[in-house]
Amino acid sequence: MLELSSVSHVYPDGTRALDNVTLSIPKGMYGLLGPNGAGKSTLMRTVATLQSPSSGSITFDGLDVLAKPEELRKRLGYLPQDFGVYPRVSAYDMLDHMAVLKGIAGRAERRDTVETLLAQVNLWDVRKKAIAGFSGGMRQRFGIAQALIGNPELIIVDEPTAGLDPEERNRFLNLLAEIGENVVVILSTHIVEDVADLCPRMAVLVNGAIRLEGAPSDLIEKARGTIWAKTVERGELPAYRKMYEVISTRLFAGRTIIHIMSPTDPGDGFEQAPGGLEDVYFSTLAAGRREATARQAA
Amino acid sequence: MFGRIALFELRYQLRNPVFWAALVIFFLLTFGATVSEDIMIGSGGNVHVNAPVAIIETQLVLTLFYMFVTTAFVANVVVRDDDSGFGPIVRSTRVTKFAYLIGRFTGAAGAALLAFLVVPAAILLGSMMPWIDPETVGPNTLAWYVQGYALYAVPSVFLLCALFFAVATMTRSMLYSYVGVVGFLVVYLVYGVLVAAEPDYREIAALTDPLGFGAFSYETRYWTAAEANSQMPALTGIILANRGLALLLGLAGLAIAYWRFTFADRGISVRKARRLARKARKLAATQPRTVAALPATRPESAAFARLLMTTRFEIRQVVQSPAFIVLLALGLFNSIAALAFGGDFYGTAPIPATFALIPVLEGSFTLFALIIAIYYGGEVVWRDRDRKFHEVIDATSLPGWAFMIPKTIAVALVLVATLVVSVLGAVAVQAANGYFNFEFGKYLAWYLAPTAADLVLVAVLSVFVQALSPSKYLGWGIMTLYLVAAITLTSIGFDHPMILYGRTGFSPVSDMNGVAVGGALGWWMRLYWGGFALLLAVLAQLMRRRGTETRLAPRIRQLPRRAASGAGALGLVGLLTAGATGAFLYNEMNVENEYASRDDGEARLAEYERKYLQYETLRQPSITDVTLALDIFPAERRLEAKGSYAMVNDTGVPLEMLIVRLPDRETELLEVEVPGAALQSDDGEFQFRIYRFETPLAPGEKARLTFATRRWHKALSTTGYGTRLVENGTFLNNSEFAPIIGMNRQGLLADRATRRRYGLEPELRPARLEDNNARERNYLADTDWVMSDITISTAADQVPVAPGMKVSDEVRGKRRIARFRSGAPILAFFSVQSAAYDIAAREVQEFGEDGLRLEVYHDPQHPYNVERMLDAMEVSLGYYAANFGPYQFDHARIVEFPGYAQFAQAFAGTMPWSEKMGFLANFADPGEIDYVTYIAAHEMAHQYWAHQLISADQQGGTLLVETLAQYSALMVMKELHGEDQMRRFLKYELDNYLSSRGSEAIEELPLERVENQGYIHYRKGSVVMYLLQDRLGEQRVNAMLAGLLDRYRFKSQPYASASDLVAGFHSLARNEEESDLVRDLLQKITIYDLKAAEAVVRELDDGRFETVLTVEATKYHAEGKGRETEAPLEDRIEIGLFTERPGSGAFDRENVIAMERRPIRSGRQVLRILSDRRPAWAGIDPYNKYVDRDSDDNLVEPG
Repeated sequence: MLELSSVSHVYPDGTRALDNVTLSIPKGMYGLLGPNGAGKSTLMRTVATLQSPSSGSITFDGLDVLAKPEELRKRLGYLPQDFGVYPRVSAYDMLDHMAVLKGIAGRAERRDTVETLLAQVNLWDVRKKAIAGFSGGMRQRFGIAQALIGNPELIIVDEPTAGLDPEERNRFLNLLAEIGENVVVILSTHIVEDVADLCPRMAVLVNGAIRLEGAPSDLIEKARGTIWAKTVERGELPAYRKMYEVISTRLFAGRTIIHIMSPTDPGDGFEQAPGGLEDVYFSTLAAGRREATARQAA
Repeated sequence: MFGRIALFELRYQLRNPVFWAALVIFFLLTFGATVSEDIMIGSGGNVHVNAPVAIIETQLVLTLFYMFVTTAFVANVVVRDDDSGFGPIVRSTRVTKFAYLIGRFTGAAGAALLAFLVVPAAILLGSMMPWIDPETVGPNTLAWYVQGYALYAVPSVFLLCALFFAVATMTRSMLYSYVGVVGFLVVYLVYGVLVAAEPDYREIAALTDPLGFGAFSYETRYWTAAEANSQMPALTGIILANRGLALLLGLAGLAIAYWRFTFADRGISVRKARRLARKARKLAATQPRTVAALPATRPESAAFARLLMTTRFEIRQVVQSPAFIVLLALGLFNSIAALAFGGDFYGTAPIPATFALIPVLEGSFTLFALIIAIYYGGEVVWRDRDRKFHEVIDATSLPGWAFMIPKTIAVALVLVATLVVSVLGAVAVQAANGYFNFEFGKYLAWYLAPTAADLVLVAVLSVFVQALSPSKYLGWGIMTLYLVAAITLTSIGFDHPMILYGRTGFSPVSDMNGVAVGGALGWWMRLYWGGFALLLAVLAQLMRRRGTETRLAPRIRQLPRRAASGAGALGLVGLLTAGATGAFLYNEMNVENEYASRDDGEARLAEYERKYLQYETLRQPSITDVTLALDIFPAERRLEAKGSYAMVNDTGVPLEMLIVRLPDRETELLEVEVPGAALQSDDGEFQFRIYRFETPLAPGEKARLTFATRRWHKALSTTGYGTRLVENGTFLNNSEFAPIIGMNRQGLLADRATRRRYGLEPELRPARLEDNNARERNYLADTDWVMSDITISTAADQVPVAPGMKVSDEVRGKRRIARFRSGAPILAFFSVQSAAYDIAAREVQEFGEDGLRLEVYHDPQHPYNVERMLDAMEVSLGYYAANFGPYQFDHARIVEFPGYAQFAQAFAGTMPWSEKMGFLANFADPGEIDYVTYIAAHEMAHQYWAHQLISADQQGGTLLVETLAQYSALMVMKELHGEDQMRRFLKYELDNYLSSRGSEAIEELPLERVENQGYIHYRKGSVVMYLLQDRLGEQRVNAMLAGLLDRYRFKSQPYASASDLVAGFHSLARNEEESDLVRDLLQKITIYDLKAAEAVVRELDDGRFETVLTVEATKYHAEGKGRETEAPLEDRIEIGLFTERPGSGAFDRENVIAMERRPIRSGRQVLRILSDRRPAWAGIDPYNKYVDRDSDDNLVEPG
């Protein structure tokens, strides 16, 4: 459905934000995972027609996005990573305003849109309150409501769960799950669970390049049997870091559980761990770091 | 903790846009007032723009305005945390109430004080601008700025901060804080009017005026320019007490704020809680209307809805923002103050007719509307980005036009609404003055529509600049530069309207002539700039920011591609419109008309003077008869004049040369014939011709001159069609259509700085009093006594007026033709007028055999004071004929002219009078000074003093004309109102004289040497003449004056001299005392200081009362620059006892218990007066007949 081929972007200051990104994104939820600064937002903005890449091409359902951004915008719903609100404007009025901006002219149609969405995102009761007074979760729900106006075929959601408490996050992800069946939804995040819970397909972006792409279950399957875990004292951690490539550490009951990746049993008290998407992601990041170090050394 | 909170608050406020907006506004106001004559705060005249007094005065005035800003600062402190929901967090910390509240207040007040520093800074900067007249600038002394700021601005700003901090603490609402400001202002102004106007309370008012105005003006009220320029009022007495009081009041305000403030949220009231609950129930009861499938977008058909909704959204964002409310309130305050207190003459307010209010609105309100245009230009363009909402909007299918166009329209509509509010303010002022003739059509056509269009032009520019600018602040900076340019470009000589975007030329408003002078020009200019505006709007749209690309260069690169569209075509239309209109206007202004910038015009006048002033004393024949045929075509603004002069050589010597010139550049000198003389030189550039008689004109020999001229405003000039020859209300004097014989100084450069710039003597002073040669010429441009025969025609619906008896008056076809012939000699300086007049007439039989016809030619809309004018003419002619001699005409006419200027003038038998002056005076309150009668009596007196006796062209020339006219008018007022009511007139004249002395530019002179200085010959002259007639006897003075008239009536050279009048007064002096008085009053500058220190009343055994009055008396002689030396006083001065205070409205004859002259000498002395009744007031010179430095301390209530 959405095809990116060889998309690169270099900022005027020389930062290479996107490096030859080629992706094919089908209908349904698609997770874009990556650490902060990996280029996720640049990629999202590029697809959302907010900036033109230095090179490469993007098509959506056969439409050349770079040549005709205005055509894509008619089919797009976008929730940026960070957005503010106008003072003294209520949720109802703002959504109504957005409906007009997106091209819903009729009063009745606008009312249907606004009220349906407010009910859907569970903001009906607070519709007359100024958005400026909303909590983070309410604000994100308002954000998704505006992105859904007019049945977009491509929905881009950039880091929507950052800063939400678990309950709000669940509520938000459920909302996404409801809509992500017949349209393309790109969800960018640095939180692995978001993707694990929701997305039939995903990619990992590190330093502007795609490091991994596929269905989470396939990726987990591929990693099966290569993840080993051990519980160590905190003080021992540096020693282990020297000996093994530690892909993640986690505190549990005051001690540290470390995960390493190894095709064979490393011994030394390590036990095979079941291995989840998180391990896959962290190992990908670790590989990225290794390469970067190698490049620097060379 | 306290310090950290204060510092945090200060830093917060410095980032607040209010701080920067205040900085810019107050900088512009002050800078503008310093460098431009169009904007005025306080002093003027000979007081330097950077004099200590001016520095203080400017700061005092601006403190009043600053109230609106300080409130924004300090109320923000209180309201902010509640608005942002951050309050509970802050208040639950361990911060103490004192540190929290007072710390924050300190920070906010610090920011307010910091921002106000821009006022002294702007004066300093303004005084250094190169184009300012160096004579209006004194040396900059840093201490004055520091002291002025520290002593006057700081306590007042602190007080205002504290006061409104308390109000905000109590109300916890920005809106109510502003209501508080308005309330304070009303109370403050009313208090000022009620208390400060009462002389007895002047000291109390001075002390208690919390903003320091009172104390400051009390201490400096009679300062001369020299004093004002060189010293600060000492920080003692009333000023010290007053400034201390301001600080104390401020602390009290803070204490109240501290006392009323609680950390805990005050619970909402029961009623509000109930209302909220009801609202919540209603909200909860409504169910959403949901649909299974959301409606699809149809962007193609949403264009109109998008335009409408986004415009509405932007408008709502603007009008709901606090800054808008502040700016609107400031603008309204400024304009309502100007509307309510402007336009007085002699303290009498005018009837607030719409046409007179419109220029006041333009001057006082539009600056704020401009600031709104500029400020919100930035806000609307950057709003989405500032709010971080731009990515959401940029990713919608909103087409490019929908970004900039609704924003521009929104700002434009906000501006229109703002103007409508200002009109409502004006209407409210009218209603408050009992004027209910609301002429909304005039408001619309003369103010709203043109000003709105002008503001829209600025709004478009502002949006364009912001669309291109890399930041909002830079955009504002650029627009501020534009504003500064608009203020200053004219003052440095770039006055052509086509060179600065948005300038629409000069369009004065008149009830008689509408906007016919500049209205058309204005709309052509708006079309011209509108073309540019369209182009700018298109460019802004094409180069808008969308997405993350914010750099300008890529957007410029994209421009050609984007321009190939409908928008580009629209831009082209704009460009073509501007081009075509520009070509048309250029042709009108610079080809059809001759355009001269101010500098060009000045250079030309300087050249004229250098070339031709040498002929000033060249003897010329006198004109004896003037015959004219004038055809006025009002609709075409055309005048065709043909005429002839009969001349005689009355110089006693043969004359070889005849100078014929027409300096008015608007009028073309078509032909001149002088039989028996040949044209020796013809300077076409200056229309200056020199003829040489073939045989010199022998003494007594006659000569003739015929001429034809044309004045035709057929094309638009940079100032419209000119204000003299207009559609309705033409008012031309003969120098504007007929050639002048000989050279004189009229119309030469007068401004000292300008003259110096062109290498001329700084001033052209008249000949000295001792110069007897000067008596060969008269001071009225040496015009001759002539007999006239004028035939004047105009459009059939207008009435033509010229001097002389009306011999015939008929309508022939579409023309009305009237012929006027003089029955007595008139000065060859006269006016003709033409307009659609109503005529109010009155026949008076007592005068002469043929009787006398009094007439007022007035606009049908201005009937208010016509009867009063007729009465005044009748009464004054009655007095003059009885005391000075016969009136020379069978008619006297007051003729209204459009208010393009504000004066009344006396030509022979005809008195043109501005529609903005007496015709609108409001005498609803009988206590007002009847200046219409006063002025009418003055102008009628000129029929004697000028039109029967004309003085020589030397020092003291205006003494015989203006001072004697003032004297005559005062005598008429005395006859009408009685001696005991005269104090009001005298005091007005006296105060005016004393306060104007400071503005003297060259030197103050004694009356007998007055050099056309209005404050001397009108103001001081009135007081002095009144005292002289009081001391020497009215009848005796009038007899002496009648003798003077007999000597000089219609006489040419030698003309009357001020010495004749002085000698006349000396001849009336009966003793040394009176001779001294004449000398002191007429031949010296003498200032008195008479004071009643105390009075004690004792009832005597015989039932009578003895009043023991202690008085202090001093006399000073002053020299031209204001330096004074004490002189011994030895005079007989009036002492009076009264039951009411003289000068108060209720005071009249029956309140006078005793009034007698007593010998008074310098120093303190005690006087005893016996009376039958117990006095409530006692005093020295109670009617203010002396030139008394402080005329308010002459009376005292016995203790």
